[in-house]
Amino acid sequence: MPFGRDVIEVDALVTDRYLDSLLAARELVPAAGEGLDRGVRLASERLTRDLPRFHPSFRFEERLAVRLAEAAAAMRLPAAAGAEGEIRAVPFPAPELPVGFDPLVDHRDGGDPAGFSRPLLLRGAVAASALSLAGAAWVAWRRSRTSASPMARAARAAHAMRGRPA
Amino acid sequence: MARPVFRTTGAAKTAAPRIVHLDLDRPLVEAARRDPARFEALYRRYLAPVYSFAYYELGNHHAAEDATARTFLAALTNLHRFEERAQPEDGAGASTFKVWLFRIARNVISNDRRTARRHPAAPLDAASAAIVADPLNVEGEAVRRDEASEAWRAVGRLPGDRRRALVLRFVDELSTAEIAGVMGRSEGAVRVLLHRALRTVAHDLGVPRPGRRR
Repeated sequence: MPFGRDVIEVDALVTDRYLDSLLAARELVPAAGEGLDRGVRLASERLTRDLPRFHPSFRFEERLAVRLAEAAAAMRLPAAAGAEGEIRAVPFPAPELPVGFDPLVDHRDGGDPAGFSRPLLLRGAVAASALSLAGAAWVAWRRSRTSASPMARAARAAHAMRGRPA
Repeated sequence: MARPVFRTTGAAKTAAPRIVHLDLDRPLVEAARRDPARFEALYRRYLAPVYSFAYYELGNHHAAEDATARTFLAALTNLHRFEERAQPEDGAGASTFKVWLFRIARNVISNDRRTARRHPAAPLDAASAAIVADPLNVEGEAVRRDEASEAWRAVGRLPGDRRRALVLRFVDELSTAEIAGVMGRSEGAVRVLLHRALRTVAHDLGVPRPGRRR
């Protein structure tokens, strides 16, 4: 027969089983409860029935939801800035310059020193040069071509008269 | 009432089945870890229980709202620290997200108490006012309100740990194992705490004790 501390632990276990069935059944006729203290059983039933559950106001609920959404967005922001890629050092080896190399002298005739290349700039320079040449050719062609309109003829005559002595 | 789910794994026919604890909130927690905006689902699920717990502890709607807000903000920003460490021997409901959340709430409320030196004595009258009355049964509602106030007073007079355990058990419907996780005690200690609390409440409510019913 259990004594002292054991008795209270056994009673507590019986109470716990009863509460499990009471709260799960959500009604006041649970299956368990055999050997349970009558006062404990009645108090359990009273508390199950009488202790209300509270819900905050709808206004508070939505206000807190907005605060949480803002906090979540702030948490997401640092990750999104670099999350899709990774930081990696770009290999750009230091050129091995010959002794006495003068950076101000144009070395194009003799070619670049070993390893001293700018692949990114190269394409841009070629494209820019091509555009410049095309532009110059168009201007030369346009100037050599005389316009047949009366206005253009009048303008050319006025231009020719300007250089002559009065 | 939400109860933890168990499943068996391994070769059931050749070896003894291994019980694996499954946290019901695991999918929601994992989604919130991937995208913090998905935390809202957990927030909506646990707002009322956390608020109820705070209200019973602090006895003031504004204080309860404040504690609830800080609990959820702390949970969101510390979600990466949450570890589901449930083991079969821990018992059902141990170390779940719910336990973790209520533990945060308990800490927030304790800090509030420490700073404001507030004692939960006031909620009892507010509780009876909060019960929605039935206009068709005025007399019955008055009796019910009186009974509810009585129950509130009896719970409010309990020492802190006993009151907390009762509220978590009856209002938030946590299991004994979950309460043990929240309060940092063993399951056996929580069972005894609840049993003693119920005996005190029974005595306060004037329930006669003719002895054990066998």
